Amino acid sequence: MPSVLDSLKRFFEDRRFSARLEFLRDLPLCEGLRRHELGSLQQSFHSRVYKEGEALFLEGDIGRALFIVESGKVELTKRGPDGSPQRIAELGPGSLFGEMALLEQLPRSASAIAVEKSEMLLLYRSKLDEILHYHPRIGVAVMRHLARLLSARLRRVSDQVTTAGASFSR
Amino acid sequence: MPPRRPPTPPWWTLLILAAMAWGFYHLHDALVPFLLSFALAFLLNPVVHWFEVRGFRREQVVMAIYLVVAGIITMTANWVLPAATRELALLEGKVPGYITRAKELVGAAQFAVAHRLPFGAHVVESWNLKLYEPVMDQLPKIPAYVLGLVPLFSLLFLVPFITFFMLMDAPTFLQKGIQILPSRYVEQALHLLSELDAALGNYIRGVLIIAGAIGVASYVGLVALGINYPLAIATLAGISSLIPYLGAVMGMAVGGVIAFFQFQNLAMPLKVAVLFVGIRLGDEAIVQPFVAKHSVHLHPMVFLFALMAGGKVFGFIGLVFAVPAVCMLKAVVSVAWDWYVSEAQMVLDQGVDGSEVPYC
Repeated sequence: MPSVLDSLKRFFEDRRFSARLEFLRDLPLCEGLRRHELGSLQQSFHSRVYKEGEALFLEGDIGRALFIVESGKVELTKRGPDGSPQRIAELGPGSLFGEMALLEQLPRSASAIAVEKSEMLLLYRSKLDEILHYHPRIGVAVMRHLARLLSARLRRVSDQVTTAGASFSR
Repeated sequence: MPPRRPPTPPWWTLLILAAMAWGFYHLHDALVPFLLSFALAFLLNPVVHWFEVRGFRREQVVMAIYLVVAGIITMTANWVLPAATRELALLEGKVPGYITRAKELVGAAQFAVAHRLPFGAHVVESWNLKLYEPVMDQLPKIPAYVLGLVPLFSLLFLVPFITFFMLMDAPTFLQKGIQILPSRYVEQALHLLSELDAALGNYIRGVLIIAGAIGVASYVGLVALGINYPLAIATLAGISSLIPYLGAVMGMAVGGVIAFFQFQNLAMPLKVAVLFVGIRLGDEAIVQPFVAKHSVHLHPMVFLFALMAGGKVFGFIGLVFAVPAVCMLKAVVSVAWDWYVSEAQMVLDQGVDGSEVPYC
């Protein structure tokens, strides 16, 4: 009897979905979410494969989506004072970026280029609105993570300003 | 200050809209089953989605659910359609008798007016010319008009077939569409898709809920009042309500006429009128707020203009699809404008303290 059930489960199971679910489960963004909640969140993502050297977005574009690297590598660059691009980070699987776009419609502060063939998950801001409305538990988890991220960045900038202020006064 | 791309007017959006309008105008007859299938796919998609988020494969879920839905549709077609058609055919058979009876009643009224009132003969003559004869000419055609809707039911067999493929392959087409788009347009495309999905999905689900609610309420009310042909009248009211506000009016008109001839008094047509006014108010007070909670809000003038323009250009199908088409148009224009103003820095985003945050 269990073998019949297993066969039935295998027949109905979406293996790609399960693999992506495991990927999402390991992300801090999805901390504490149940399996079907992860499933709902996954349904809100769109995926796209970017070729090597392809720009995900450019500095100055109006951003409205959060990106998660599912596979591959993405380089974030920012123009320096002389206009030449300066690398600020290289992100691998599990990294997320562009989250500010979920909160406000402002120009991107950096460019993102695929260093190699990369598969990305995109969460569009109106999808986040839908999640917040229809699945508040998931929405709270996502927003809590975004708040933590912003808090950590604010603390880092605050430390940098304090350090810079101290060295200036010396 | 990050460098900005130069703002470009949404010409591409206008071009696509113009091409879609031109294509729709020339192909609207052929598009009807696809539009209905699209609506049905929207209705069924949440069910598929429920299973998908629990790890089930879409193909298998669609097939399993489809078997159930196909069974329900088949049973509905086997039970409702013959019964409704039989009732309509019976009604058609009785209409000449009803018209004769109506003519007798009107003739008696005319005789009374002509002989008992001063200038009565003149009033009757004027009434005959202006109202009575054109109305009586049209009366025998009413069953033919109603039966003219029956061929639409043949779509019941075509629509599920197309819906099946839409449900199975829509995510793949969507994924491929996103993949072939240049990366700089991916976010715009997602924005547009999201808005269209929200506007259209809520509208279609809402309209079908309203049609179902009006149909069921009409049937229960008519049975309670003991009116003949309750299923035919309720079906007609339900289907007519796909055109906003028409369901209750059709139910009241047809039900009222049938009640008048069945009971030979004015009390029962009045009760039918009260029933459909009640259904309309109930729809307005209970169903509409539930449905309209997240749907696109259209100004009543835009709403009426869409109905009139749709009816004028595309006939009955235009009446059915006018409002969702305007909802889609509104979503497209809203997205295009939103992107244009943000690219062109015409509107500044609101800061958390309510002050405007400048771009630079």
